[in-house]
Amino acid sequence: MNAVQPTAMFSGRYQRAFTIAVLFLVAGWHIGGGGGQLLQNRTAYASFAFQCALWLVMALAIVAESFLVLRGPPGWRAAWAVALIALAASTASAAASPAGQMLAVNWAWGSAGWIGVLVLLRRRFAELAWFLAALAAGILGVQVWDGLNRTDLAGFLAVLIWSTGAQVAVAAGVRALNVAADQASAAVESEHATRERAATAEIIQAARHARMLALQESAVPLVAELAAGLADPGDEQVRIRCAVQAARLRRLLAEGDEVPGSLVHELYASADVAERRGVAVDIETVGSLPHVPGPARRVITDAAIVILTAARSKVRITLAAMTPGIAVSFVADTGAIVWLPAASEGVAIEQQEDSGMLWAEARWNNR
Amino acid sequence: MEQQVTVTIIEDHPVVTEGVASWIQSDPDQRVRLVATARDLTGLRAVPLTSADVVILDLELSGELVTNQIPGLVVAGYRVVAFSGHSDPAIVMETLDNGAHAYVSKEEGREHLVEAVLAAAADRPYVTRSQARAMLADQRPARPELSQQERQALLLWFQGMSKASVGRRMSISENTVRQYISRARAKYAATGRTAPSKDALLARAIEDGVIKPGEIMPYQSFARAAADHPSLGAPGQ
Repeated sequence: MNAVQPTAMFSGRYQRAFTIAVLFLVAGWHIGGGGGQLLQNRTAYASFAFQCALWLVMALAIVAESFLVLRGPPGWRAAWAVALIALAASTASAAASPAGQMLAVNWAWGSAGWIGVLVLLRRRFAELAWFLAALAAGILGVQVWDGLNRTDLAGFLAVLIWSTGAQVAVAAGVRALNVAADQASAAVESEHATRERAATAEIIQAARHARMLALQESAVPLVAELAAGLADPGDEQVRIRCAVQAARLRRLLAEGDEVPGSLVHELYASADVAERRGVAVDIETVGSLPHVPGPARRVITDAAIVILTAARSKVRITLAAMTPGIAVSFVADTGAIVWLPAASEGVAIEQQEDSGMLWAEARWNNR
Repeated sequence: MEQQVTVTIIEDHPVVTEGVASWIQSDPDQRVRLVATARDLTGLRAVPLTSADVVILDLELSGELVTNQIPGLVVAGYRVVAFSGHSDPAIVMETLDNGAHAYVSKEEGREHLVEAVLAAAADRPYVTRSQARAMLADQRPARPELSQQERQALLLWFQGMSKASVGRRMSISENTVRQYISRARAKYAATGRTAPSKDALLARAIEDGVIKPGEIMPYQSFARAAADHPSLGAPGQ
């Protein structure tokens, strides 16, 4: 039950550390790299104030995305809203820079790229690739508008390879580290699970052994009596004893994959009591059963006890995994409707009586 | 009176064979006649093919699971009713997929075996509770799509209600309950590996109006099988 928590924490801690590292990188670049370039070339811009305003817009975008990414992987709307603000600011900054020396005084392309790296870090790699391509296309578009010559194009390609290359490398690096952290946590998890399985197997083994010993006392004498002709299979009492022992044997054979403490286990325990009264109990399951919380389990086992007590000779209990939750049903020869616990703890109970046979179903919904 | 259905039992434990024989004898209308018994599959080969309509096959013979022998029996013209102590849904599914008509667990024998044999002889679907369980548990990607009503009928039947009670619970007639359960079974006959027995079951289901050909459209091999075997309308011949 709590096997997943430590490993999720383990992997989550690393992911958070990587995110914080990239956040420092982005903020550092925007202040040191972008800000430095902006100040150094303040006289070159047509409007220094406009460039400063765009710098502030990106700074705010970084603050916003730091909140987003530290809360967990952002949704696509929020992530792309931040990315598009960065894209717009970068393109606007380039467009407002003097033609011919735009690349020389550009501070925004790098910052916008890093903003995108951070906010799209936990999303598909293709999304980051599209973003970086759009960013580069914006710069190239401005260059073409201004009149592109071969020197400009060479400059564009140089900056593209240097800056975008670094951004892609960081994003890929973080991804690789995430995979490593996931593998490490998976290893921890599997070790934990192995230990838990071993412990469970031991408990189940002990319980089976105990039941096997109990069978020695009940089933073996019956078989011996039948073999010796002391018990007559035509006798109703002998037939009931056989049915009860057969049900117990079947249960013993079917119990291999059960987990102690589960609902099935508790129903088995309730069935034992009824069997001592001579009621044959059959328990069957369908699908992989969900974990039912304690209070809901109690409502179900209370219903089971009422029905097992009221049954005259046989009860069939089935547990079926449903798309939401579980359906536990009882078919028993109670002869009449029985008083069942009221619906509570997310368990709804229904019953129907039909020529002496009772059908009741307790449904627990995990939604 | 209708002709008796002939049956062969393949079972390695004589005491079980005797038990099955006694169920067959205790049928008030004597609808089934036991013609041969065998302790393994080589024993069956000695029996002339035409002598039995249905084979009751224990799935575990001398400690070995024989589900993979079912296709051979089916191709040889037998209708197979599996009778087994195993109730693992995966084994039930494999048995049906290999072309067995029905699956009866040993606990269900007294109540269901004779009826399952009769249904198999007529190529009609017969769904025991253990079979319903396996169908409900089926998570394979290739499983057929069952309707809400079919699943509900299967679930209530698996839970242990009589079909009449299932009908009252679902506010439908007992006949409609049978229809839902049979249709679910027919959908299974339309998926997976091809087998003459599955084609025969499906053809009969269509003939009986249990299922419409349109409801089994995705099944390609049925059309192919129909083209390959013009004698489909006369199953088992």
